[in-house]
Amino acid sequence: MTAVSRAWGRLTLPGRIVFTLVPLLAVLGAGLVALIVLFGGTAADLILANLGFVRFLAAATIILVITIPIAFLNIYLEMKVIALMNLRVGPDRVGPWGSLLSVVHGLKVLIKEDFTPTAADPIVFTWAPVVTYAAAVMTLLVLPFAPGLYGQDFNIGLLYFFAVGGMGVVGLLMGGWSSFNKYSLLGGLRSAAQIVSYEIPLTLSVVGLLILAGTMSLNQIVQQQSGWFTDWFVFRQPLGFVIFFIAATAEANRTPFDLTEADSEIVAGFATEYSGMRFGFFFFAEYVNVFILSALAAVLFLGGWNAPFPFPALSIPLYPGSLGIPLLFLIALVPIIGTLALAAPFYLARSSMRWWVALIIGFVLFNVVAGGLTFAWAYVSFDWVAGLVWFMAKTFGFVFVFVWMRGTLPRVRIDQLMGFAWKWLLPAALLNLFVTAAAVVIVGS
Amino acid sequence: MTTTSHPGRHASADDPRVLLDDEIGVFGTVPPYPPRTEREAEFYTLGDGQMFLNMGPQHPSTHGVLRIVLKLDGEKVVDLDPVLGYLHRGVEKLCENADYHQVISQVDPLEYVSSLFCEWSPVMAFEKLLDVDVPRRAEYIRVLSGELNRIASHALFMGWFALDLGGLTPILWSFIERDEIVEMLAALTGQRMLFNYFRIGGVNGDLNHDFMSRLGDWMSRATGQIEANLTLLNQNEIFVRRARGLGVVDTETALAMCMTGPNLRATGSPFDVRRAHPYSIYPELDFDIPTRTEGDSLARYLLRMEEIKQSLRIIDQCLHQMPDGPIMAKLPRLLRPRPGRAYAAIEGPRGQYATYAISDGTDQPFRMRIHDPSFVHLQSVGLLMRGDLIADCMAIMASLDPVMGGVDK
Amino acid sequence: MSMNPIRLVPGSGMVRGMALTLRRFFEPKATIRYPEVRADIPPKFRGRLQLLYDEYGTLKCETCFQCAQACPIECIDMGGMDTKGRFHVHWGAAETYGERREESALRRSGRTVPDPAYDHFEGVDVGAVDDILEGFDHDPAHLLAILEATQAHYGYLPVGALKRISQVTGTWYAQIYGTASFYGHLRFEPPALLEQAAAMAARRPAEQAFLAGLGASLSGGGGDDA
Repeated sequence: MTAVSRAWGRLTLPGRIVFTLVPLLAVLGAGLVALIVLFGGTAADLILANLGFVRFLAAATIILVITIPIAFLNIYLEMKVIALMNLRVGPDRVGPWGSLLSVVHGLKVLIKEDFTPTAADPIVFTWAPVVTYAAAVMTLLVLPFAPGLYGQDFNIGLLYFFAVGGMGVVGLLMGGWSSFNKYSLLGGLRSAAQIVSYEIPLTLSVVGLLILAGTMSLNQIVQQQSGWFTDWFVFRQPLGFVIFFIAATAEANRTPFDLTEADSEIVAGFATEYSGMRFGFFFFAEYVNVFILSALAAVLFLGGWNAPFPFPALSIPLYPGSLGIPLLFLIALVPIIGTLALAAPFYLARSSMRWWVALIIGFVLFNVVAGGLTFAWAYVSFDWVAGLVWFMAKTFGFVFVFVWMRGTLPRVRIDQLMGFAWKWLLPAALLNLFVTAAAVVIVGS
Repeated sequence: MTTTSHPGRHASADDPRVLLDDEIGVFGTVPPYPPRTEREAEFYTLGDGQMFLNMGPQHPSTHGVLRIVLKLDGEKVVDLDPVLGYLHRGVEKLCENADYHQVISQVDPLEYVSSLFCEWSPVMAFEKLLDVDVPRRAEYIRVLSGELNRIASHALFMGWFALDLGGLTPILWSFIERDEIVEMLAALTGQRMLFNYFRIGGVNGDLNHDFMSRLGDWMSRATGQIEANLTLLNQNEIFVRRARGLGVVDTETALAMCMTGPNLRATGSPFDVRRAHPYSIYPELDFDIPTRTEGDSLARYLLRMEEIKQSLRIIDQCLHQMPDGPIMAKLPRLLRPRPGRAYAAIEGPRGQYATYAISDGTDQPFRMRIHDPSFVHLQSVGLLMRGDLIADCMAIMASLDPVMGGVDK
Repeated sequence: MSMNPIRLVPGSGMVRGMALTLRRFFEPKATIRYPEVRADIPPKFRGRLQLLYDEYGTLKCETCFQCAQACPIECIDMGGMDTKGRFHVHWGAAETYGERREESALRRSGRTVPDPAYDHFEGVDVGAVDDILEGFDHDPAHLLAILEATQAHYGYLPVGALKRISQVTGTWYAQIYGTASFYGHLRFEPPALLEQAAAMAARRPAEQAFLAGLGASLSGGGGDDA
């Protein structure tokens, strides 16, 4: 006994962790194997029988999780792009080019005090960020990221999107109402007025597109835009696109329509009294919203996951499994040979270079080349990879425009905002709808 | 109805956390004393559907620590009550307890974005008291550094104004502009912000190589840089539509409100102390007094941008006409002016800075009165903001360009 | 403004502004990356509060208190041992030295400052100082006259008496010390001690060591902690 305790006492902390974890993992792994052996067939049958439901569960979980990196990426983009436009450097300390700063921001809001004002309504105050965040996450469910890569393909997908997306304002209103702060109240009411007003042109602007497409399923709308980029709806509905973009800016509370959190007027609007992770939820929801509206703009008007031009159909007859035993040799030798081959020119060209520096350069280069080749192979072989690349490129293009606008434009006034929605956007959206409908009737008859 | 009951407040007599409506009218805004004047009684009585909003002293855009109690009807400002004094340091009294040289460092932080002008008027008043002739080279250096400071102040104004209208970028661009000027002034004066450069009878230190090379470098690209910065705002429809017709004031009202400087010239009156009551070497210099007639925030903004160009002209002439000679008049170390009074006014970036000094023959001023344009302009806030929206309150204040350090003194 | 037809298109100004920000996006940045790159400080920069050293590496400061007197906001203070072993001298803003912070606060509130360095200057009967101050109505404007009267009473200016004057009139100690050290006829040591030291110095060079020992014993071991 004493020998064991003495040996344990000599172990360092990592050693103790290893000695604890390895047996634990072994036991658990054995148990898992036993479970699979005993009940594997039944479980597989159960999953296969309820495939749709399991798929939905998986999609919902993945979507909930994926909002976090999306929000982090958007926050980082916002910080960095605006900084560069301001002739600043922006985040450059945490991670490469400061790219982990938004993660640190996320951790920061997690460990901050979760503060509730004395006279606030605690229940409404607590649930307000949840409502906003849930609305943002739920809209992600119908977005088609790539062929076969979507949460659910509704036939009323667009309607669902607007209906659920409109719920976000309820959270803002709740937050503003319950904070016991007049700035919050003003911000909440502003957001209600603004978002309700801009819902109408936003929805009307896509009705013309719906007439052309004949469906509300986002997947089918994307499929109809396949082919050349001239098939994208932005060229058939330019006015609709402009209206959609302006209204989406207002929907996402982005500059120049960020009146709900106008810091020079009403401090932070509805979020004035929020701190800690509750504020973090508002913050995340805002940036997820930016992503979602950008994605919707890409899906509706820029062809979603379609490439701008059809690629010549390439099929690479590369089946790694057919190589057999030589594949093992290939896996073992290609990295070494590639590294040496790429390192040799550097070592030979510059006599002052140490051999290990050349090897490191060669290794990095080999990884870049191999990664690029693998990506190219995946891009050609799997259409979901290609689709995801194009979708993300378009979406983050829109996100960049949103951030760019924030870096450039001042804020409009509340009466100008409302006047613009009702006097200009709404008639323009109706005109767009009327012209589209007339054109469809005339061409169709 | 005298008060608004706030949503989310659980009005319960048992809950000690919450103050009831009867106990404290509106949270924090009703003064904890019975109204002292009729105006106060009228202001602190709420009409139907109105509410108070306590803007400041802790607010992102009150330019320091101004507090404005707004009486709101929805988003519309029905009435307002500016509350000053959060930055009061008793500078005039401090000056009366310091000797004449020390006064310069006391008045420096009044308007911390244009400290040279805060020094200039007391120094001029003391020179009048002492009957000193300032060497011409010192005057030229004063005008040169002063106009540089004016550009820095106006450049910063552009950023502030845009920031209060919601633009993020111009403030940082204008800080770059200001930083270059401040760096060269630091090379000249030894400090970046509170220069403490003017002395009674001259200036502290001659032009040096560091300053001149920085100045030449900056002058060669200043015009282009400022023009480029201006395209961001001057043609921006959102900016122009928000600033136009905002806080309009006509010449009569402006004069009745004692406005001076760009705020007055934006109404059409070409009053500029540099021309109206010439001082220093301004009569020898060739520059225009730009005026505009609209009298709104956009006019005030554009006028300041025009003044930047005029200041660049003045700097150019100063550099070309700079005479040789001493930079300080011969003065004893301990100054004891004969008993008397002196008044000196200068044209600063915000308007007329003036000092009225009384000497009783000792080495400390018996009384010093500092006339600060920021304070004077702030009194028209009540006139300009009433009837506008909350969003415009800060924009109007920014267009008047007050600095709270000077307001509260 | 020229009448460019493009400017009549609504939104063209915004587009131009966005083009400008996009151009600035790629331009070199103005940020100074602080810990790696330091902004250059002009030679005339006055922001540092520090004492200068001469070419032999010794401090140029002679503890004359003139800077403390001239400082308009009374932010300069000194303490430690001066060159004659008289006083506890170090320098800088009073608040920047932890051991002085409390004293400064006490002094500003008009209370006694407990300072071990002052201890061996105690033992002076300050009742006479109070009488003198009473005669001058506690007015620091008559500082010179007060000091002369004090010297007339004690024969020299004891530090304890100066401290008492500072406490009662509220005058900055530096100011009193500066005033006293400015005038030649005011002295800090008893004349008898001075004469004795001078006579001993004149008598035998060998007694220099003894004199140094005397000085060391007089200084009371107050360390220089600057």
